Amino acid sequence: MPDLDRHLPGIAAGDPDAFQAFVVGAESRLREGLASFAAVVDTEAVLQEALLRVWQVAGRFREDGRPNGLLRLATRMARNLAVSELRARGRVVAESDSEVARRLDALAVADAALEPDPLLRRRIEACRRALPPRPRAALEARLLAGGGEPDAALALGLHMRLNTFLQNVTRARRALILCLRRAGVDLEAHP
Amino acid sequence: MTDRRIREVLVEAAAGAWRPRHPGGRLGPHPAWADLDEAGRREAFEAARQSRRLEALLDPEGLSTTARAVMARVRTGR
Repeated sequence: MPDLDRHLPGIAAGDPDAFQAFVVGAESRLREGLASFAAVVDTEAVLQEALLRVWQVAGRFREDGRPNGLLRLATRMARNLAVSELRARGRVVAESDSEVARRLDALAVADAALEPDPLLRRRIEACRRALPPRPRAALEARLLAGGGEPDAALALGLHMRLNTFLQNVTRARRALILCLRRAGVDLEAHP
Repeated sequence: MTDRRIREVLVEAAAGAWRPRHPGGRLGPHPAWADLDEAGRREAFEAARQSRRLEALLDPEGLSTTARAVMARVRTGR
Protein backbone atom coordinates (compact mmCIF):
# COMPACT_ATOMS: atom_id res chain seq x y z
CA MET A 1 0.00 0.00 0.00
CA PRO A 2 1.14 3.60 -0.48
CA ASP A 3 2.69 5.58 2.39
CA LEU A 4 -0.25 7.46 3.91
CA ASP A 5 2.19 9.65 5.86
CA ARG A 6 2.36 11.86 2.77
CA HIS A 7 -0.83 13.44 4.15
CA LEU A 8 0.78 14.20 7.53
CA PRO A 9 1.79 17.85 6.92
CA GLY A 10 -1.79 18.76 5.98
CA ILE A 11 -3.28 16.74 8.83
CA ALA A 12 -0.88 18.33 11.33
CA ALA A 13 -1.96 21.75 10.02
CA GLY A 14 -5.59 20.84 10.77
CA ASP A 15 -6.69 20.37 7.15
CA PRO A 16 -9.76 18.08 7.05
CA ASP A 17 -9.22 17.35 3.33
CA ALA A 18 -5.80 15.89 4.15
CA PHE A 19 -7.33 13.76 6.90
CA GLN A 20 -10.06 12.63 4.51
CA ALA A 21 -7.39 11.39 2.09
CA PHE A 22 -5.81 9.47 4.98
CA VAL A 23 -9.18 7.97 5.97
CA VAL A 24 -9.86 6.82 2.39
CA GLY A 25 -6.52 5.00 2.35
CA ALA A 26 -6.63 3.66 5.90
CA GLU A 27 -10.20 2.45 6.40
CA SER A 28 -10.02 -1.03 4.87
CA ARG A 29 -6.68 -1.80 6.59
CA LEU A 30 -8.06 -0.73 9.95
CA ARG A 31 -11.20 -2.79 9.43
CA GLU A 32 -9.14 -5.87 8.53
CA GLY A 33 -7.10 -5.32 11.67
CA LEU A 34 -10.26 -5.59 13.76
CA ALA A 35 -11.52 -8.80 12.10
CA SER A 36 -10.47 -11.01 15.01
CA PHE A 37 -12.74 -8.96 17.32
CA ALA A 38 -15.81 -9.09 15.04
CA ALA A 39 -17.72 -11.66 17.10
CA VAL A 40 -17.30 -9.86 20.40
CA VAL A 41 -16.93 -6.11 19.70
CA ASP A 42 -18.90 -3.81 17.39
CA THR A 43 -15.96 -3.10 15.10
CA GLU A 44 -17.80 -0.38 13.13
CA ALA A 45 -18.18 1.76 16.27
CA VAL A 46 -14.57 1.05 17.30
CA LEU A 47 -13.25 1.92 13.84
CA GLN A 48 -15.06 5.27 13.67
CA GLU A 49 -14.09 6.14 17.24
CA ALA A 50 -10.42 5.29 16.54
CA LEU A 51 -10.35 7.52 13.44
CA LEU A 52 -11.87 10.41 15.40
CA ARG A 53 -9.22 10.00 18.10
CA VAL A 54 -6.44 9.89 15.49
CA TRP A 55 -7.67 13.24 14.17
CA GLN A 56 -7.57 14.66 17.71
CA VAL A 57 -3.95 13.60 18.35
CA ALA A 58 -2.49 13.80 14.82
CA GLY A 59 -1.13 17.30 15.36
CA ARG A 60 1.23 15.93 18.04
CA PHE A 61 2.25 12.81 16.09
CA ARG A 62 5.97 12.36 15.37
CA GLU A 63 7.19 10.12 12.51
CA ASP A 64 9.62 7.28 13.29
CA GLY A 65 11.25 7.22 9.84
CA ARG A 66 9.28 4.18 8.63
CA PRO A 67 6.25 4.38 6.27
CA ASN A 68 2.66 4.56 7.45
CA GLY A 69 3.39 5.77 10.96
CA LEU A 70 -0.03 7.37 11.38
CA LEU A 71 -1.75 4.22 10.09
CA ARG A 72 0.21 2.15 12.60
CA LEU A 73 -0.85 4.54 15.35
CA ALA A 74 -4.48 4.26 14.19
CA THR A 75 -4.19 0.45 14.17
CA ARG A 76 -2.88 0.45 17.74
CA MET A 77 -5.61 2.86 18.89
CA ALA A 78 -8.35 0.78 17.25
CA ARG A 79 -7.03 -2.41 18.83
CA ASN A 80 -6.73 -0.76 22.25
CA LEU A 81 -10.31 0.48 22.01
CA ALA A 82 -11.49 -3.03 21.10
CA VAL A 83 -9.52 -4.54 23.98
CA SER A 84 -10.95 -1.95 26.41
CA GLU A 85 -14.48 -2.86 25.27
CA LEU A 86 -13.74 -6.53 25.83
CA ARG A 87 -12.16 -6.05 29.25
CA ALA A 88 -15.04 -3.85 30.35
CA ARG A 89 -17.25 -6.89 29.78
CA GLY A 90 -14.84 -9.26 31.52
CA ARG A 91 -13.78 -11.03 28.32
CA VAL A 92 -10.34 -12.50 27.60
CA VAL A 93 -8.29 -10.96 24.78
CA ALA A 94 -7.34 -13.68 22.26
CA GLU A 95 -4.86 -11.74 20.13
CA SER A 96 -1.26 -11.77 21.42
CA ASP A 97 1.04 -8.73 21.46
CA SER A 98 3.42 -10.49 19.03
CA GLU A 99 0.60 -10.90 16.50
CA VAL A 100 -0.14 -7.18 16.78
CA ALA A 101 3.56 -6.31 16.37
CA ARG A 102 3.74 -8.49 13.24
CA ARG A 103 0.72 -6.74 11.76
CA LEU A 104 2.15 -3.30 12.54
CA ASP A 105 5.47 -4.25 10.92
CA ALA A 106 3.60 -5.35 7.78
CA LEU A 107 2.07 -1.89 7.56
CA ALA A 108 5.48 -0.20 7.75
CA VAL A 109 6.11 -0.92 4.07
CA ALA A 110 5.10 1.43 1.29
CA ASP A 111 4.64 0.86 -2.42
CA ALA A 112 3.21 2.89 -5.29
CA ALA A 113 -0.23 4.47 -4.90
CA LEU A 114 -2.98 2.71 -6.83
CA GLU A 115 -5.05 4.99 -9.00
CA PRO A 116 -8.82 4.43 -8.99
CA ASP A 117 -9.74 2.19 -11.93
CA PRO A 118 -12.09 4.21 -14.21
CA LEU A 119 -13.31 1.04 -15.95
CA LEU A 120 -14.28 -0.48 -12.60
CA ARG A 121 -16.18 2.70 -11.67
CA ARG A 122 -18.06 2.60 -14.98
CA ARG A 123 -18.94 -1.04 -14.41
CA ILE A 124 -20.28 -0.50 -10.91
CA GLU A 125 -22.28 2.52 -12.09
CA ALA A 126 -23.86 0.32 -14.77
CA CYS A 127 -24.63 -2.27 -12.09
CA ARG A 128 -26.22 0.40 -9.89
CA ARG A 129 -28.43 1.60 -12.76
CA ALA A 130 -29.54 -1.99 -13.36
CA LEU A 131 -30.80 -2.47 -9.79
CA PRO A 132 -34.57 -2.85 -9.30
CA PRO A 133 -36.14 0.43 -8.07
CA ARG A 134 -36.69 -0.40 -4.40
CA PRO A 135 -33.26 -1.92 -3.64
CA ARG A 136 -31.68 0.96 -5.55
CA ALA A 137 -33.67 3.51 -3.53
CA ALA A 138 -32.65 1.86 -0.24
CA LEU A 139 -28.99 1.73 -1.24
CA GLU A 140 -28.99 5.36 -2.36
CA ALA A 141 -30.67 6.48 0.86
CA ARG A 142 -27.82 4.90 2.82
CA LEU A 143 -25.21 6.47 0.53
CA LEU A 144 -26.80 9.91 0.83
CA ALA A 145 -27.09 9.68 4.62
CA GLY A 146 -23.39 8.81 4.88
CA GLY A 147 -23.85 6.98 8.17
CA GLY A 148 -25.41 10.07 9.72
CA GLU A 149 -28.97 8.84 10.17
CA PRO A 150 -30.46 5.64 11.58
CA ASP A 151 -32.08 3.25 9.13
CA ALA A 152 -35.49 3.84 10.70
CA ALA A 153 -35.38 7.48 9.53
CA LEU A 154 -34.21 6.46 6.05
CA ALA A 155 -37.00 3.86 5.79
CA LEU A 156 -39.57 6.46 6.82
CA GLY A 157 -38.32 8.80 4.10
CA LEU A 158 -38.90 6.07 1.51
CA HIS A 159 -42.30 5.07 2.95
CA MET A 160 -40.95 1.59 3.69
CA ARG A 161 -41.19 -0.43 6.86
CA LEU A 162 -37.78 -0.77 8.51
CA ASN A 163 -37.57 -4.51 7.82
CA THR A 164 -38.49 -3.97 4.16
CA PHE A 165 -35.86 -1.23 3.88
CA LEU A 166 -33.15 -3.49 5.33
CA GLN A 167 -34.15 -6.40 3.09
CA ASN A 168 -33.83 -4.05 0.11
CA VAL A 169 -30.35 -2.96 1.22
CA THR A 170 -29.33 -6.63 1.37
CA ARG A 171 -30.83 -7.27 -2.09
CA ALA A 172 -28.96 -4.26 -3.49
CA ARG A 173 -25.62 -5.38 -2.07
CA ARG A 174 -26.00 -8.96 -3.32
CA ALA A 175 -27.17 -7.80 -6.75
CA LEU A 176 -24.21 -5.42 -7.11
CA ILE A 177 -21.72 -8.13 -6.17
CA LEU A 178 -23.34 -10.59 -8.58
CA CYS A 179 -23.43 -7.99 -11.37
CA LEU A 180 -19.73 -7.19 -10.84
CA ARG A 181 -18.85 -10.87 -10.77
CA ARG A 182 -20.63 -11.38 -14.10
CA ALA A 183 -18.54 -8.49 -15.48
CA GLY A 184 -15.41 -10.31 -14.32
CA VAL A 185 -14.74 -8.10 -11.27
CA ASP A 186 -13.68 -9.71 -7.99
CA LEU A 187 -14.51 -7.29 -5.20
CA GLU A 188 -11.90 -8.90 -2.94
CA ALA A 189 -9.20 -7.70 -5.33
CA HIS A 190 -10.21 -4.06 -4.74
CA PRO A 191 -9.72 -3.28 -1.04
CA MET B 1 -41.05 -13.08 9.55
CA THR B 2 -39.14 -16.34 9.92
CA ASP B 3 -36.15 -16.59 12.27
CA ARG B 4 -33.88 -16.57 9.21
CA ARG B 5 -35.41 -13.34 7.92
CA ILE B 6 -35.19 -11.69 11.33
CA ARG B 7 -31.54 -12.66 11.53
CA GLU B 8 -30.84 -11.25 8.04
CA VAL B 9 -32.50 -7.97 8.97
CA LEU B 10 -30.44 -7.70 12.17
CA VAL B 11 -27.23 -8.46 10.25
CA GLU B 12 -28.02 -5.75 7.67
CA ALA B 13 -28.85 -3.21 10.37
CA ALA B 14 -25.60 -3.94 12.22
CA ALA B 15 -23.66 -3.74 8.93
CA GLY B 16 -24.67 -0.09 8.40
CA ALA B 17 -22.35 2.77 9.31
CA TRP B 18 -24.74 4.68 11.60
CA ARG B 19 -23.93 4.31 15.29
CA PRO B 20 -25.62 5.83 18.35
CA ARG B 21 -23.69 8.35 20.41
CA HIS B 22 -23.36 8.09 24.19
CA PRO B 23 -23.99 11.30 26.20
CA GLY B 24 -20.22 11.94 26.40
CA GLY B 25 -20.02 11.85 22.61
CA ARG B 26 -18.44 8.41 22.28
CA LEU B 27 -19.94 6.05 19.71
CA GLY B 28 -21.74 2.99 21.00
CA PRO B 29 -22.60 -0.38 19.48
CA HIS B 30 -25.60 -0.66 17.17
CA PRO B 31 -28.65 -2.05 19.04
CA ALA B 32 -29.04 -4.74 16.34
CA TRP B 33 -25.42 -5.82 16.86
CA ALA B 34 -26.19 -6.47 20.53
CA ASP B 35 -29.14 -8.70 19.50
CA LEU B 36 -26.99 -10.97 17.30
CA ASP B 37 -25.13 -14.10 18.38
CA GLU B 38 -21.40 -14.39 17.60
CA ALA B 39 -21.96 -16.02 14.20
CA GLY B 40 -24.39 -13.25 13.27
CA ARG B 41 -21.87 -10.61 14.30
CA ARG B 42 -19.26 -12.18 12.04
CA GLU B 43 -21.80 -12.10 9.20
CA ALA B 44 -22.44 -8.42 9.94
CA PHE B 45 -18.69 -7.73 9.81
CA GLU B 46 -18.44 -9.42 6.40
CA ALA B 47 -21.53 -7.57 5.09
CA ALA B 48 -20.03 -4.28 6.31
CA ARG B 49 -16.72 -5.06 4.62
CA GLN B 50 -18.49 -5.71 1.30
CA SER B 51 -20.78 -2.70 1.66
CA ARG B 52 -17.95 -0.28 2.44
CA ARG B 53 -16.01 -1.44 -0.65
CA LEU B 54 -19.06 -0.99 -2.86
CA GLU B 55 -19.85 2.40 -1.33
CA ALA B 56 -16.30 3.65 -1.85
CA LEU B 57 -16.42 2.55 -5.49
CA LEU B 58 -19.76 4.29 -6.00
CA ASP B 59 -18.64 7.53 -4.34
CA PRO B 60 -16.99 10.16 -6.57
CA GLU B 61 -14.43 10.90 -3.82
CA GLY B 62 -13.94 7.24 -2.90
CA LEU B 63 -15.52 7.61 0.55
CA SER B 64 -17.51 4.82 2.16
CA THR B 65 -20.37 5.68 4.54
CA THR B 66 -17.96 4.97 7.42
CA ALA B 67 -15.58 7.59 6.04
CA ARG B 68 -18.48 10.01 5.45
CA ALA B 69 -19.70 9.57 9.05
CA VAL B 70 -16.21 10.21 10.46
CA MET B 71 -15.54 13.20 8.22
CA ALA B 72 -18.92 14.77 9.06
CA ARG B 73 -17.89 14.77 12.73
CA VAL B 74 -14.38 16.01 11.94
CA ARG B 75 -15.71 18.89 9.83
CA THR B 76 -18.36 19.95 12.33
CA GLY B 77 -16.05 19.49 15.32
CA ARG B 78 -18.53 17.18 17.08
